[in-house]
Amino acid sequence: MRFAYVLFRALPWLVLGARALAVQPPLPPEHLTVEPLPPRSAHWVFVFDESFDNEIDARVHLFDGDTYRQLGQIDAGFTPSMNLSPDGNTTVVATTYFARGSRGTRTDVVEFTDNSTLTVTREIVLPPKRAQTLPTLFNVAYSADGHFLYTSYVTPAASFGVLDPLKGTVLSEIDTAGCVLVIPSGPNRVSAICENGRLLTVTLDSLGREASRKMSDAFFDPDKDPVFAQGIRSPNGFTFLSFLAEVHEVDFSGPQPVFAPTWSLVSAAERGRWRPGAEQVGAIHRVLGRLYVPMHVGGEGTHKDGGTEIWVFDMRTHRRLQRWPLGPANLGGPVVAVQVTQDQAPLLFAATGKGTLAVFDAFNGHLRHVEHRLAQTPWMLMTP
Amino acid sequence: MRSFDRLFEHSSRAIAQRTSRRSLLASLGQLLTGAALLPLLPIDRGSRAHAQDKKLGQQDCDYWKYCAIDGFLCACCGGTATSCPPGTQPSPITWIGTCHNPGDGRDYVISYNDCCGKTSCGNCECNRNEREKPMYRPSRNNDLNWCMANADSNYHCSVSVILGVAEK
Repeated sequence: MRFAYVLFRALPWLVLGARALAVQPPLPPEHLTVEPLPPRSAHWVFVFDESFDNEIDARVHLFDGDTYRQLGQIDAGFTPSMNLSPDGNTTVVATTYFARGSRGTRTDVVEFTDNSTLTVTREIVLPPKRAQTLPTLFNVAYSADGHFLYTSYVTPAASFGVLDPLKGTVLSEIDTAGCVLVIPSGPNRVSAICENGRLLTVTLDSLGREASRKMSDAFFDPDKDPVFAQGIRSPNGFTFLSFLAEVHEVDFSGPQPVFAPTWSLVSAAERGRWRPGAEQVGAIHRVLGRLYVPMHVGGEGTHKDGGTEIWVFDMRTHRRLQRWPLGPANLGGPVVAVQVTQDQAPLLFAATGKGTLAVFDAFNGHLRHVEHRLAQTPWMLMTP
Repeated sequence: MRSFDRLFEHSSRAIAQRTSRRSLLASLGQLLTGAALLPLLPIDRGSRAHAQDKKLGQQDCDYWKYCAIDGFLCACCGGTATSCPPGTQPSPITWIGTCHNPGDGRDYVISYNDCCGKTSCGNCECNRNEREKPMYRPSRNNDLNWCMANADSNYHCSVSVILGVAEK
């Protein structure tokens, strides 16, 4: 009864409104276009998404840390690896496709995507030996001058391929029995991590063939305190964190790697209780000399558990500068990957196993944005 | 009797006005499903309880044999803790873990084979890493796709198979 009364009173206004709408001009025809990418920003982040629940369909999302927009996507196939070219113009994805989608003949391939258009511009077919494993910076990697591209092979016999990314050819395969991954240094050196805690360094000739090789001393004990294979780029090479929070800085700028004295992320009281843990276990701002590590409380076997806090260190003084508890950010889970932009107003990106990407002010840990459901399983982040 | 009929007619019409046939079917379905699930509720059924616990354990990431597994539990994908789902192929190569069985107090060497040839199952993801080592110790590493050497290297799920008692 009440509804009928209201309808009766409103009827004249509804009629007037309908007439007003009737006399509005129609919307103009629209034109279908393809959105161009905006100019590259230091605050972009490439989000590697393993898509673990449907693993043949991995991808890389490109996200803008200033506008909080997803800018586009690079398809990445099955258990892929990715990296960026030294000039940042190209994303390289090493991946596997099956002829019938989820089955059939296996093709391993390296695909090059133009980062100004997100289109694939070239591919190089590999022997079907590519290391199908979790992402690190060392599954596929460029030489410092961009003339060689190295891909890690595991069949499970270990070796690596040397490619010419400019000509699109495979140049050679180099056996590294007992040592895996491709840590690039200089224009023609590749180091691999060995099961005994040493580094094997292979120097190449101008044609990408092995010229010499040398084994280093052990720089960690794989039985007592293994290092994460996910090295972090540092000013003169890469830094490796151990399960028990020791910091191994390795200088790769010379002919052979040089190991700095180790230091610890934890106090004696914290050792064995607070640990680093993640899929991508640290990030370094190379100019500021700051190290960001997802940390958690846990015992042996929790090295992939993800961080409940991010700890910030000064790489020069080895002092802990800040602790960022992540509970208040309400990210829906611990942080499994971190990356920091390399500009003077840096952002710290943190991804969770629930597919959330958080954006922090890297100076003070202030939470700027939380993007929910950006990815399914974002296990590595890269900034240009 | 007539008043009884009228009562039911009235209530039936009232229900019909408030609900759709689809929602009625849905409610009936829920009721029937609930009835079907009643026997599965965890009540003491004597000798059947042990077998049921064992089955439930295989779908539980906390199951002792899964102490270094990383992937989807085949027991949730049509297989069991020791068998691959139909239509998949076991990986001949594998990684190894050592797990403590609280049932008998022994440590066992466990082989974590992958089942291959279909895309990832997506059920019961389980990532445990006791004594797990990074990729430079391949036989102790659960990040590698151990379907890598199969004719079809697509990864579907993972099983855990006892190889023997671990030597002290």
